[in-house]
Amino acid sequence: MTKGKTVSLIGLSTLENIGLKSLLRDAGAPHVETFGSFAESSPLADKSDAFVVRADTFAANLDFFMPRRQKTLIVSESAGQDDGSCRPFIINPRDDESRAEAVIGRFVECLADNPEEHGELSAREREVLRLIAQGKINKEIADILCISINTVITHRKNISAKLNIKSAQGLSLYAMMNGLI
Amino acid sequence: MALFNKSSRLSEAILENPQLIPVVNRLGVALGVGEQSIGSVCAHAHIDPDFFLSIVNTFLDKDYFPADPQDTFTLSKTVDYLRKTAAYYLSAQLPNIERHFSSLLARSGSDNNLGLLRGFFDDMKAQMTECLHYDSQVLFPALERGEVPPDMDRSVSGHREVEEKLHDLLCFFVVHLRGEYDRNLCMAVVSAVFSLDNDYRQNNRIRSRILFPFMQGLIGDANVEIL
Repeated sequence: MTKGKTVSLIGLSTLENIGLKSLLRDAGAPHVETFGSFAESSPLADKSDAFVVRADTFAANLDFFMPRRQKTLIVSESAGQDDGSCRPFIINPRDDESRAEAVIGRFVECLADNPEEHGELSAREREVLRLIAQGKINKEIADILCISINTVITHRKNISAKLNIKSAQGLSLYAMMNGLI
Repeated sequence: MALFNKSSRLSEAILENPQLIPVVNRLGVALGVGEQSIGSVCAHAHIDPDFFLSIVNTFLDKDYFPADPQDTFTLSKTVDYLRKTAAYYLSAQLPNIERHFSSLLARSGSDNNLGLLRGFFDDMKAQMTECLHYDSQVLFPALERGEVPPDMDRSVSGHREVEEKLHDLLCFFVVHLRGEYDRNLCMAVVSAVFSLDNDYRQNNRIRSRILFPFMQGLIGDANVEIL
């Protein structure tokens, strides 16, 4: 399920945005946001679950996109046919409709599967983890994020399950190793 | 159902389950056990065979529980076993990991995250040491006097946290280790942590399955309310 996940379309033309929005929604990704440029998207980009960008935007922001390449779809007119195995996903605007639907279908499917398969954390879970690493207790995390304590506990359980790390100190070490604090 | 009984050969039990070596050592049996049955080994070493088998079977099988725990276990035997276990962790297993870890750090340069893992290990060791000292200096003496030990909840949660940290340490080595390092020495550290992790987990089960119910019975007999 991709319910609740947000895909950001960054730096694309109006017609590309309209077409991709439609294809993504048909494939099961209902939350799609559009941004004129990477700079415009940057305050919100880290909270997105996936991205669609042109190849030059990807190349100009490698530090940001390389760690997120498994959830990025690149629009490139020079791309060959996607064999279904490459990451990041690549789509060519000249692709015919069925091929475009197939690439976007696989992209959305992987977006749904990735967190469990690769132990990746959602944007919200990274936020919770960052606060755990700062030594915040559940009540403080709930207050800061304006969510209930039960939701915080659920996030903690999901984080522990995805990372296979049980202790708060272990989670802090993971956050430190991965530049979250 | 018990995995081993008095007629089982101890050598076969150990060869099938080498993780038993520190356990039988703590119970008073050294290696070089010959081809004798567990019953014979225990008779020669003046060890209660029922207690020996209960510890061994509980250690190996998480679903095993002796039929008559109150008959099999006495407080003094159980506490004696747990004291020896703590001594083994503090004097053998933890220093062994530290020694290997120091060599690993010395021969691996700085282009890795081993320093962070060493810090994590040191914190885990400090907490484990604190928990084991609480057991030997507060918990066991209180039980031997038939008194309710103070801070029991803290002790239980402390041992559980140490168990979690041992698991996490292994996870960091297996999943999150980065950079260049001496693989041979790293294997030595990970093997030693695996061994301690397994032993500590099984031993916590023995504590919760045998010591705490026993303690509840003792405190109940003494007409004292459990925590």
